[in-house]
Amino acid sequence: MNESSPLVRLRDVHKRYGGVRALQGATLSAVGGEVHGLLGPNGSGKSTLGKVLAGSVRPDRADIAIAGSAVQIGSPRAAAKLGVSAVYQQLSLVEELSVSHNLVLGQEPGRVGFLSDRAAKAKARPILERLGPALGDVQADQPVRDLTPGQQQLVEIGKALLREPRILILDEATASLHRDQVQVVFDVVRELKEDGVCVLFVSHRLDEIMELCDRATILRSGETVAETVIDTVSPEEIVRLMVGDVQTVEREQEEPAEGPVRLAVRELSGKGLSDVAFEARAGEIVGLGGLQGQGQSELLSALFGATANSGSVSVDGRPVRLASPRSAAARGIALVPGDRGSQGTLPARPILENLTVASMRKRASFGFLRAARERAASQRMVDELSIKVGGLAEPVSSLSGGNAQKVVFGKWLLNEPDVILLDDPTKGVDIGAKSEIYRIIRGLARAGTTVIINSSEDRELVTLCDRVLVMFEGDIRAEIRGSEITEERLVQAALRIGEGTHGETTAESAT
Amino acid sequence: MNNLRRVVRDPLVIAALIAIALVVAGGIVSPGFASPDQIVNMLRVASFLGLIAIGQTLVVLSGGEGIDLSVGTVATLGAILASRTMAGDNAMLIPGVLLALVVAAAIGVTNGLGIVFLKIPPFVMTLGMLGVVSGLILVVTGGVADGRAAPALVHLVNGRLFFGIPGILIVWAALAVLVTLLLRRTTFGRQLYATGAGREAARLSGVPVNRVLITTYTLSSVFAALGGIAMVGYSQQVFLNLANDLTLPSIAAVIIGGTLVAGGVGGYLGSAIGAIVLTVLTSLLTTLSMPEWARIVVQGAVLIALLAVYGRQRRLRS
Amino acid sequence: MTATDKAREIEERTAFFDRVKGIRVASWATGLLLAAAAVVAAVLQPNLLTPYGVSSTFATFLPLVLVAVAQSFVVIGGGLDLSAGAIVALSSVVAVQAMRGEEGTALIGFLAAVGTGFACGAVNGLIVSRLRLQPLIATFATASVFSGLALFVLPTPGGTVPAAMTETFRQAIAGVPVSLLLVVAVAIGWLALRKLRVFRYIRASGGNPAAAYASLVPVAGARFASYAICGAVCGLAAVAVLGNSGSGDPFIGGDLALNSIAAVVIGGIALRGGIGSPIGAIAGAITLSLASTILFSVGLPTSWRALATGLVVILALSLSALGAPRRQR
Repeated sequence: MNESSPLVRLRDVHKRYGGVRALQGATLSAVGGEVHGLLGPNGSGKSTLGKVLAGSVRPDRADIAIAGSAVQIGSPRAAAKLGVSAVYQQLSLVEELSVSHNLVLGQEPGRVGFLSDRAAKAKARPILERLGPALGDVQADQPVRDLTPGQQQLVEIGKALLREPRILILDEATASLHRDQVQVVFDVVRELKEDGVCVLFVSHRLDEIMELCDRATILRSGETVAETVIDTVSPEEIVRLMVGDVQTVEREQEEPAEGPVRLAVRELSGKGLSDVAFEARAGEIVGLGGLQGQGQSELLSALFGATANSGSVSVDGRPVRLASPRSAAARGIALVPGDRGSQGTLPARPILENLTVASMRKRASFGFLRAARERAASQRMVDELSIKVGGLAEPVSSLSGGNAQKVVFGKWLLNEPDVILLDDPTKGVDIGAKSEIYRIIRGLARAGTTVIINSSEDRELVTLCDRVLVMFEGDIRAEIRGSEITEERLVQAALRIGEGTHGETTAESAT
Repeated sequence: MNNLRRVVRDPLVIAALIAIALVVAGGIVSPGFASPDQIVNMLRVASFLGLIAIGQTLVVLSGGEGIDLSVGTVATLGAILASRTMAGDNAMLIPGVLLALVVAAAIGVTNGLGIVFLKIPPFVMTLGMLGVVSGLILVVTGGVADGRAAPALVHLVNGRLFFGIPGILIVWAALAVLVTLLLRRTTFGRQLYATGAGREAARLSGVPVNRVLITTYTLSSVFAALGGIAMVGYSQQVFLNLANDLTLPSIAAVIIGGTLVAGGVGGYLGSAIGAIVLTVLTSLLTTLSMPEWARIVVQGAVLIALLAVYGRQRRLRS
Repeated sequence: MTATDKAREIEERTAFFDRVKGIRVASWATGLLLAAAAVVAAVLQPNLLTPYGVSSTFATFLPLVLVAVAQSFVVIGGGLDLSAGAIVALSSVVAVQAMRGEEGTALIGFLAAVGTGFACGAVNGLIVSRLRLQPLIATFATASVFSGLALFVLPTPGGTVPAAMTETFRQAIAGVPVSLLLVVAVAIGWLALRKLRVFRYIRASGGNPAAAYASLVPVAGARFASYAICGAVCGLAAVAVLGNSGSGDPFIGGDLALNSIAAVVIGGIALRGGIGSPIGAIAGAITLSLASTILFSVGLPTSWRALATGLVVILALSLSALGAPRRQR
């Protein structure tokens, strides 16, 4: 490998989303003919870094050089001109169009404005043949809508390959693939490598990184912390580099909660969930662990009645009708949802309205609100949760991520919930606000509220939880209790569950 | 300084300044345009549009591409039903008004149900309803409009009740206060804003989104009918297309008033000022003896210009 | 015949069958509705099937068929054109004024109509794609501008159209009425042009604008094109209106926008974009027109017809809304 003239060199990349620094001076350097892993915990900025290179995120500052010459990448079109293609887990397919039309989308062959389906098929054929073992019986003129998620992901990969990139970014592009399909993709990647293509490989699956990559860049909190040659390190060392100083995480939960059973869930099935059953006690903090996207968020919205499901849920022995968030809230269940902007807050509305929206009916008489009471209630939450606000009339969009999240907490605390469901409550929240949110969560538990928390950060679960339920493919597969909850146990549990069953479950049967 | 800038940038203030500027311009072009009598008369005409714009404001606030294209014809139908029932008799004033409002409410509920449960986009549903209501008007009238407003209604609109102020302006002002209170001081108002600002977040906060939407479209039709009734008090005679042309201005008034097309932000006061701006503009164009076609063109062009200022949509790239 | 020739022949044959498959009406529901409407109409009004019946029926259908096709381009592209009716009105009165009733000016009238329609569509396209205004309110506003201009061009209904234009409509070629041939011609015209790159881009932009943008499809350009094409086809509809009525009318556009949207929906074109074909729009327009023919023939009093038509439209809209596949998010 020639270190002196890398094909891709990113330096000093900065990107802020509102108050959150996604990237702060990240660097990356990769050469042609190499598969380069991009690793880091969730929220470390690895995807953002890839998107900067692909032209779909505009960095605040970046120093990018391709094949030694400095470039600006202002749009996906500019990236494509430089030979950069990207594949994400989130697909960019037009479902109404056929497979071959999607493959050639944006570069359709044709004459004088008329497209030739035959030429398109001819152009797509080698790619379809190459991916054929993984695609199964997919036809070129089948609408993409009829394909399984795995097959769609493969078409997405094929689309990038058809552009014959010099630099190919695969961002969690294998997440929805069956093991055999992954192997086909890996073979293709190895061929590209032989041809001198630089492949940037972003994945959560450590085993895939170990198998495929030559080198890896490891990011944490938007900064590059290490660059390693894969052959020289063990998986454990990589995990340690990813999580950083393992010792600093302190469990602050001394003794397990001994309260009565508050939340009982039986045979809960639905979108992304199969037959989930568990119980949680009053005052207990229960974490949902495992790889991302194994049904944790789905479980929380199901418990809140936000999605259609079957099964039984009871709070303090009384059954809850899972018909709507409204009926769940009436039974004392609250949800702090995963997407603060579109699900948690009403960004354009004042802080006061956001705080009072879920509880105002209790304070209203005949539908009329008293300004003083509403103000007092929201001021109480602002004080209790120490939310930093300019004024109660300011829109929530003026707040930082952490303070906006506290507003979502405050909204539900005014309802005095018995069970609070937290979906990644500190995502995009700065360190200071994070510890304050932890304080709020502990306070709730001490007061007897049952807390169910999903987190994209394992150390958050270690810090907070009495018990962690490890989920895999919509079901609870393992349980870790008390002092056994460590970051390494969590990472291992998540990966090991995957090893056992991964490959038998295909995308088709998972839906 | 910062505060001053915020005040100057407030759409409400801008709209009010435009209204005043138009009146002044009119006064310069044609003496008498800005006379108190003439101003009162313009406000009187603005009140019909203002009443209809109440409902349009609520609908636009409810978000989800909320719009009610049926308000103009519903106003006409309301005017026809009320005036036929009254037939120039004060005794039948209340029954006439009630009949019009009940029928309008039924139309609004239908709009709401179609939008919420059949998931028909608001513009399609209300545009379809426009066709149905036009048909209904022909059925009711048999193609001949023959209603007459009750004298009391005429007096309310055309007479000068208090210190030379027409009663209709007092009704309008009272309703403006009530609607503003409804929006700001009731659970319904808060739920409406929440629904418009973020439907998913509202649902996840326990807001009965469907009920709010149906109520909103019902109110829209009811206020439209009210505007139509006020109009027939002005014209005394009813016509088959009395208020049909007020749909576009009602939307324009809402946008001038600073209510976001995307929903969730805004209020009625702005729309009321918007209604005044549009009315003054129309009478100014009439004073300048602009032909009808030019007035129609200007109306459309004004709306496009306003949208360009307030209503740009997001780019595809972040 | 050599083996390669044989192979080529087979390949061409399959290509032909592919083409036939592509012609299918948007959905079975559309076909069913059309068949039902046709049967009921034929039963209720037997003289519909006489050459004169077919000729006059299709002559009245043609404008809506064309506007529905025009609307379908915009809707498939993820937009909406509420000004379609006003464009027809403006294009038709411009054409009337351009021809001034003189013989031999039919071609000038034709070009004037299509040119005006295209210009209006281009204005819509610029406003929606470059200024990024919400299509619904923007085209509602331009509808006002266009109909105002139509009043300026021709303040009251009147003017005459060269006989060449009106005669053509009433003729028959080999016993087949020209009006029917023209509807068929519209369908064939689409089939001939559907492989144009711009139509693929319109469909991709309507189906998933973010994905299309990421795949380097010029989304804004496709949006613009969809409105411009819509306007030009509305200009064609204006010619059909003139041929049919023989004189100009600035108020002609009235119900065309709503009816074209209803026709598009009946034709299986999803209002959220990306799905459906102009062929469906043609079927939808004919179904809708037949429905009003039926209403005529059952002897409804004149004053009830508008209401019945309105109810049919809203019924069709709600039925289609129930049957349309929902997008999962």
